[in-house]
Amino acid sequence: MSPTLTRIGAVARKEFIHVRRDPRLLAVVLVMPIMQLLLFAYAISFDVRNLPTLVVDLDHTPDSTAYVRAYEASGLFEVTSRADSLAAVDGAFDRNEARVAVVVPAGFARSLARGEAAEVGILLDGSEPNSARIAQTYAAALNQLESRQIAVTWAATQGIDLTQSGSVEPRLRTWYNPERASSIFLVPGLMVVVIMIVTAQQTAVTLVREREQGTAEQLLVSPLRRVELMVGKLTPWVLMAFLDLVVIAVLGLFLFHIPLRGSVLALGIGAALFVASCLGIGLIVSAVAPSLDTANMAAFLVAFLPAFLLSGFAFALDQVPAVIEWISRVFPARYMVTISRGVFLKGAGLDQLWPEVAALAAYALVTLVLAARLNGRRA
Amino acid sequence: MSSPATAPPAVRTSGLTRRFGAVLAVDGVDLTVERGAVFGLLGPDGAGKSTLLRLLATVLRPSAGEAQVFGHSTEREAQEITGRIGYMSQRFAMYPDLTVAENLDFFATVRGVPKTQRATRATALLEGMGLGEFRGRQARHLSGGMKQKLMLATTLMHEPDLLLLDEPTTGVDPVSRREFWRVLAGLHRAGTTVLVATPYMDEAERCTSIAFLDGGRIRQTGTPAEVAALVPGTLVEVVCPDPRAAVAALADLPEAGSPHVLGDVVRVLWRGPAADAEGALAAHLAAAGMPSAQVRAARVDMETAFAVLAEAGR
Repeated sequence: MSPTLTRIGAVARKEFIHVRRDPRLLAVVLVMPIMQLLLFAYAISFDVRNLPTLVVDLDHTPDSTAYVRAYEASGLFEVTSRADSLAAVDGAFDRNEARVAVVVPAGFARSLARGEAAEVGILLDGSEPNSARIAQTYAAALNQLESRQIAVTWAATQGIDLTQSGSVEPRLRTWYNPERASSIFLVPGLMVVVIMIVTAQQTAVTLVREREQGTAEQLLVSPLRRVELMVGKLTPWVLMAFLDLVVIAVLGLFLFHIPLRGSVLALGIGAALFVASCLGIGLIVSAVAPSLDTANMAAFLVAFLPAFLLSGFAFALDQVPAVIEWISRVFPARYMVTISRGVFLKGAGLDQLWPEVAALAAYALVTLVLAARLNGRRA
Repeated sequence: MSSPATAPPAVRTSGLTRRFGAVLAVDGVDLTVERGAVFGLLGPDGAGKSTLLRLLATVLRPSAGEAQVFGHSTEREAQEITGRIGYMSQRFAMYPDLTVAENLDFFATVRGVPKTQRATRATALLEGMGLGEFRGRQARHLSGGMKQKLMLATTLMHEPDLLLLDEPTTGVDPVSRREFWRVLAGLHRAGTTVLVATPYMDEAERCTSIAFLDGGRIRQTGTPAEVAALVPGTLVEVVCPDPRAAVAALADLPEAGSPHVLGDVVRVLWRGPAADAEGALAAHLAAAGMPSAQVRAARVDMETAFAVLAEAGR
């Protein structure tokens, strides 16, 4: 065996011993990801159902009643209160009694009867943007559908056969996740977030600990090269992160019934590079952090927050400001979220995902070299 | 300067300087340690001993000047040096959760000791230091003395040509200290060069050469006997019933330098002619009401030399 491999092997073996001798660490590495997965998957839900809805029907006609009923029938809106004036909307929003208000103005039925466009007011409580966005989409679709039916009814009364003229009924379909169950959308992203948090946090303290124990100095006074130290330290964590990943994926498949449609190879390669990138970030933190506390805090900041906010896990990256989108490219999570969702949900393989895989490969390499350079500097 | 034909000394520094911010820890040190020497680096806390050793161990870069170990620059050729030296830091620097055997094996592997030799050397070193039965114990559960021995054993696994030891016996019981020096004596006989920083003066006397370091500078250097000879004046001891009163009484005798109590006697560094010491001191003390005081000559030990020279340097 070459001296380099011997030295890397010695470091890796030593790291394994550290983990084995520290039951708390073992728990953190093997149990925490599962806890986080379950916690987040059940706690964070972007499912929008039964939005409390206030109806202000100023028209009081059978047409307006039918229109309002369409909202109730959708399942998305739940009419919780009714009022007779617009002024009631503010109060209902303030008291959180309603998130949506549907206002049918007087003259609604008359406009329809004349064949004119009837105006309807939909008011959304924008303080919860996610629900509001979905409510908006639904309401728009509903209106389109409704107006078409109204038009049909109207045409029928005028003796024109619209169905014969090939009128199409609009239908909203969500691809890849037809039930729009947020867990299916979330779990592939959540895996990425959980892995990033666990791995970056662990390597962030490893070099600091060597310095605090004085062993870093002993390593410096040895033929061990800096990159060898990094690779050796990384090896056990790559294996453990992979184990985490498999456990989480299995949980996702069987507990949350997420599909696995694409290339497992692409997922594996992407995951390995992603884990290496996260560990590299941790090592960079570790190389520059002056104390264990600082390292923990810094790792939290550079792993947890970007993983949650800038990965596309929770917020679609094509809907954030350009600057934020640009910043998100600096963190590896977004690439892996794309790969993970691509493989699990869209059935993608390496031929579609190679740009993300390449980005992660470059990322892993750069972080490792940077960590090595930052670490062993002689003072 | 040695001619190119002779091998370079184990350590040679010229104008070696290291700053930490505004603090000058090592200040223009010119030092040569010949191969095979047991070289003692003495000095009070903060004298710069640790910094000097860390500079030689390639852990620190010099701010100015140069240090060579076996003819290689510590700054530019660290890779040539690290395989040949063993550096033992002042604080315990092993993995606390690894056992004695695992620590030894890890550092030996990293330092390129072949697998076949690791086990035999580890056994020989551990047995030789009385650590044999603690092979499987985690390092954190070792006593202070055993920790130091483990560090030394780890430092010796790759059979370095130069040992840099930073206060290796501080906090170690006297029996372990003696054992420790027995090991060093064995290494010395085998030809290993040892550079050891120590605050213990009795250890200094076991060295072939010593250097006094204070305020980052080398104040004196030579064999222990040569350094003892540098102490100005004659060392005498005064035996009397009340040593403290004697010290007070001697304060106004100009020739009686640095009078101090040592055990139950008073030690005085007599600055006048040696022949006058006994008579002058006895007469002065008798005048101060201590007629029974007896004065006798004393040998200059390293402790006294250190104290006197450190005081003179300030």
